[in-house]
Amino acid sequence: MMTFIRPRLRKPLRNALAGTVFAAAWALRGGNAWQLAIVAEVTVLVSAITIYVRAGEDNDEGALAGSRADERQKLLSLRSRALGWNLATVAAFIGLSIAVAVKATWWWPFLVILAVAAFGYLLGLSNYGVAEEIPADDANDGHPARSPVSH
Amino acid sequence: MALEEGRGGLRASDADREQAVEVLKAAFVQDWLAKAEFEAHVGRALASRTYAELAAVTAGIAAPLSTVQPPDAPSPVREQRTRRKISQAELAKSLGVSRQTVILIENGRYLPSLPLAFSIARFFGLTVDNMFGKEPARPRISARSRSAPTA
Repeated sequence: MMTFIRPRLRKPLRNALAGTVFAAAWALRGGNAWQLAIVAEVTVLVSAITIYVRAGEDNDEGALAGSRADERQKLLSLRSRALGWNLATVAAFIGLSIAVAVKATWWWPFLVILAVAAFGYLLGLSNYGVAEEIPADDANDGHPARSPVSH
Repeated sequence: MALEEGRGGLRASDADREQAVEVLKAAFVQDWLAKAEFEAHVGRALASRTYAELAAVTAGIAAPLSTVQPPDAPSPVREQRTRRKISQAELAKSLGVSRQTVILIENGRYLPSLPLAFSIARFFGLTVDNMFGKEPARPRISARSRSAPTA
């Protein structure tokens, strides 16, 4: 579906959609602070407009925001996201340790984050081919390779 | 070799000559050069006036001797681009990458993927080795070259 949307609009629209879902959830929650849903929605819309404007800039951030990144910029984004996930898992582990130490009841969200991170990592290994068994195709099939300099 | 073809005629500095002597010292310490050979090579290195002469002194011994290059030598990509009077933006557009990526490739701060390296080489009608190949790894000096007269 995203391919039908202009590249520059994709990220702002995705963020706006996610923010709107959160604002709607907050509004449905009701209570005294339901007005915060309006604040959240306005913030999300301003953020989406900001991303759209930045997507027009001729730099790495603009290319990423405008969904027109080349291989280097995609690698940059990938590494940044990996760093983000690493920090998140470290924070989750610290949170879990503290929650266990103080006998808190809110330990399980940290465990969920760690479990999702571990599952995602294993899924990545599986999807990207690490688990594939590639049969050897050489003249010494069935025999261990021998170095020409070994005796 | 590009060095001899392109920059070999440029005058070498004292620092370049000292660098070549350092490499010769290293070769002597490693017993790759006999004392007489070492002294002869040092004499020729100190008398060298151009990069081509320096490279000739170090040829057949080790990579550092043939990698003596003038400072701020333009990268092959920049060299080819400027020779064809193409702007970085135009090259980036032709290759389907960002201008920033072209700049980083030219500055040697980003090594492109193999497909992109092939695209760049094809764009200029050259080989990947011409565009991104470096000097060959330092070979051990052979018995024949060690015993060869140092003319």
